[in-house]
Amino acid sequence: MLTVRELDCFYSDLQVLRGVSLDVGEGEVVALFGPNGHGKSTLLKAICGLQPPKRGSIRFKGEEIAGLPAHQIVERGLAYIPEERHLFSDMTVLENLYLGAYPRHARPVLKKNLEFVFHIFPRLAERRHQLCSTLSGGEARMVAIGRGLMSETSLLMVDEPSIGLSPGMKMAVFDAIRQIHCERGMTILIVEQEIQHALEMSDRIYLIKKGQIAFERRREEVQVDEIERAYF
Amino acid sequence: MENLVNALVSGLISGSLYATMALGLTIIYGVSRVFNFGHGVIAVIGAYITWYLLSVFGVPFLPATLLSLAFMASFGWLVYRFTMSPLLKKPNWEFSTVLFMLGAGILLENVVLQVFGPRVKSIPVLVDGALKVGFIQINWHEVALMGIVLVVIAALSLFFKYTRTGQAMRAVAQSIPGAQVVGINIEQIFGLTFALAFTVTGFSGILLGTKYYLNPHVGWEWMVKGFVIVTFGGLGSTSGAVVAALVLGLVEAVATLYFGAIWVWPIWFVLFLIVLLLRPQGILGGRT
Repeated sequence: MLTVRELDCFYSDLQVLRGVSLDVGEGEVVALFGPNGHGKSTLLKAICGLQPPKRGSIRFKGEEIAGLPAHQIVERGLAYIPEERHLFSDMTVLENLYLGAYPRHARPVLKKNLEFVFHIFPRLAERRHQLCSTLSGGEARMVAIGRGLMSETSLLMVDEPSIGLSPGMKMAVFDAIRQIHCERGMTILIVEQEIQHALEMSDRIYLIKKGQIAFERRREEVQVDEIERAYF
Repeated sequence: MENLVNALVSGLISGSLYATMALGLTIIYGVSRVFNFGHGVIAVIGAYITWYLLSVFGVPFLPATLLSLAFMASFGWLVYRFTMSPLLKKPNWEFSTVLFMLGAGILLENVVLQVFGPRVKSIPVLVDGALKVGFIQINWHEVALMGIVLVVIAALSLFFKYTRTGQAMRAVAQSIPGAQVVGINIEQIFGLTFALAFTVTGFSGILLGTKYYLNPHVGWEWMVKGFVIVTFGGLGSTSGAVVAALVLGLVEAVATLYFGAIWVWPIWFVLFLIVLLLRPQGILGGRT
């Protein structure tokens, strides 16, 4: 579904990604590990159009999307849930979710997707009329994920969904992502620091170090400590 | 007492005209963070086009206004597309966009001067006669202006709340990366925002032109009033701008009544500086 080849990415003069190649097959859950500041988030931002790559190819459902503006990539069915969440804080939960269905192809299925979001996150249904600036960190994370689901996406890229959350809330978020995969058959690419949890739900993992893919493994071929060792 | 009540009524009327004046400024800033220093001249252009259609071609008021607004919308979109859009992509855009709009404002002011000449013009009133309730006397024209302003403000708030484009404008105002990840075309929304703001600003110029007078330079005075209002109400907040405009309109009327018109600007600017020092985010603080 997603094929990345030889991707180079720069922040002004600083090269952040060096010849990164990666594949995500339909229905797969792929986890991306690696130390902080080594290019994981940049890779997701390059794929979704927020940080256009300098060289290389990104094919999504067979079409080249490298360098397209972000809105055209969302319209093709690729959703990115940023680590920083970037919610519309002076709007209610419901307004945020409705804006998630901004792409034209998402509007006919708005009701169905909204029901699914409330089914996964019953707490958002209770808080639907609350302003996002008044939500807890965990609830705001739920809105960010829910808003991504509203775009009628076929690939969900989630950047550090558990960061900064309480242990209980972390579990709730991981359960929700697992549920999205199981009930919707959603293809997921996840960046996560909680290696154990992310590994459990993944089919395959990549490890990025210094802007390059250090290794790729199937879940059964890899242990948590091998990944942790690679961080140092 | 009689004088005071009449002053308050006229303060409300000027205040509501100032509100439409400030709306265009606050809409552009709220969404794109560009502070439009050419704002006043935009209003003047809207008014002059209407005046020209009315008095030279004899077009009735409504079609003349609609034609002028259609021109303003296209003009706003073109200004965004060919000047602001490239500048916003470069470093130091906060500064370059302000200077560009200031320079463009001065240029356009001179274009208006060349095309229409320096003589004072005015757009005829919409309705003649006056409404009398007890000792209060209001011109029907001013009643009509208030009604129009109320309709404009209501229409804008419905637009921002319920339409897809209006919601997208609020989304961009609150978080550009958030808007990008939900699939909003930022360039398109910025362009439409300029079109909308120029239309509203042009319309405010038309309304002001029916109550006051028009010359090529009067835009700067209008713009400074707009600045004071948006600073008072909180830059980027539409409801803040409306409230601030009404308050300042009343201040103006009361100051004129008791101290004379010459005291209006000093009092406005003392209030302006105090608000800026104590609450730089404005009285109502919020955003679109």
